[in-house]
Amino acid sequence: MTTGPTLAGIMPIVSEGSVADAKIGVRLASRLPVRADDSELRELTSLAVQGDPGAIESLLGELRPMVVRYCRARLGRVAGQYHIADDVAQEVCIAVLSALPRYRDMGRPFASFVFGIASHKVADALRSSVRSAVPTQDLPDGPDEGPGPEETVVRYIEVEHARRLLSKLPANQRELLLLRVVSGLSAEETGNVLGMSPGAVRVAQHRALARLRQMVELESA
Amino acid sequence: MTPEEPDLQATDELLTAVSRGEVAGGDPAVRLLAALVADVTETAQRRSSVSMTPSA
Repeated sequence: MTTGPTLAGIMPIVSEGSVADAKIGVRLASRLPVRADDSELRELTSLAVQGDPGAIESLLGELRPMVVRYCRARLGRVAGQYHIADDVAQEVCIAVLSALPRYRDMGRPFASFVFGIASHKVADALRSSVRSAVPTQDLPDGPDEGPGPEETVVRYIEVEHARRLLSKLPANQRELLLLRVVSGLSAEETGNVLGMSPGAVRVAQHRALARLRQMVELESA
Repeated sequence: MTPEEPDLQATDELLTAVSRGEVAGGDPAVRLLAALVADVTETAQRRSSVSMTPSA
């Protein structure tokens, strides 16, 4: 895929701060970086559409972590890795960059434009057979600073449990929770992606969480 | 039946907190959502040494 010269030097490095301790349930020692609010994103988008390299970099820096989380949650791991999901997230970012010059602000949050693209890219990935090509991990140069085996297993079980429960939700509720919670979109942005009002999103997310709680209770009964 | 506004507000704030990684504990369903958020986020950090900047 040709990305063109405008991409050089503007794809950000993902850097997010979260630490989870699976031994004591879930405890996030440091919150995720606070994302820009809608007005900041709108201003960044406006400058990025005009080709401002700094604005494009900042805009991608805001959006890419959310896109990565969305793709990972939708596509899951393959052979224990998120390679495929991360590749799809990268494709989404490239598609957004390619579409930027043609983007017109119609009053909808820019994030809804991005996640419209992400949703299609994920659907394409799910349909394609590219998932059979699984890259293997490189041998690390130094000690692995990730969680240990016990913590990894506990967390894996929890995450797979979450995925299994989410898969039992109706598709619209599942997508809503992924956008709202995993990607961190606001109710308005989520509504714009799904064609719902912010009020309808708030009602639907309340029902989705209630349903999740009910499923957990039924499993433990 | 439409949920009451305070309940909607509470859920909205809770889900926002989960999405920001601010939730420690909570009921089992919330913990699972938080675990998923942490999982898809943490490994993004662990891959951060790999620059995605195409070479010029």
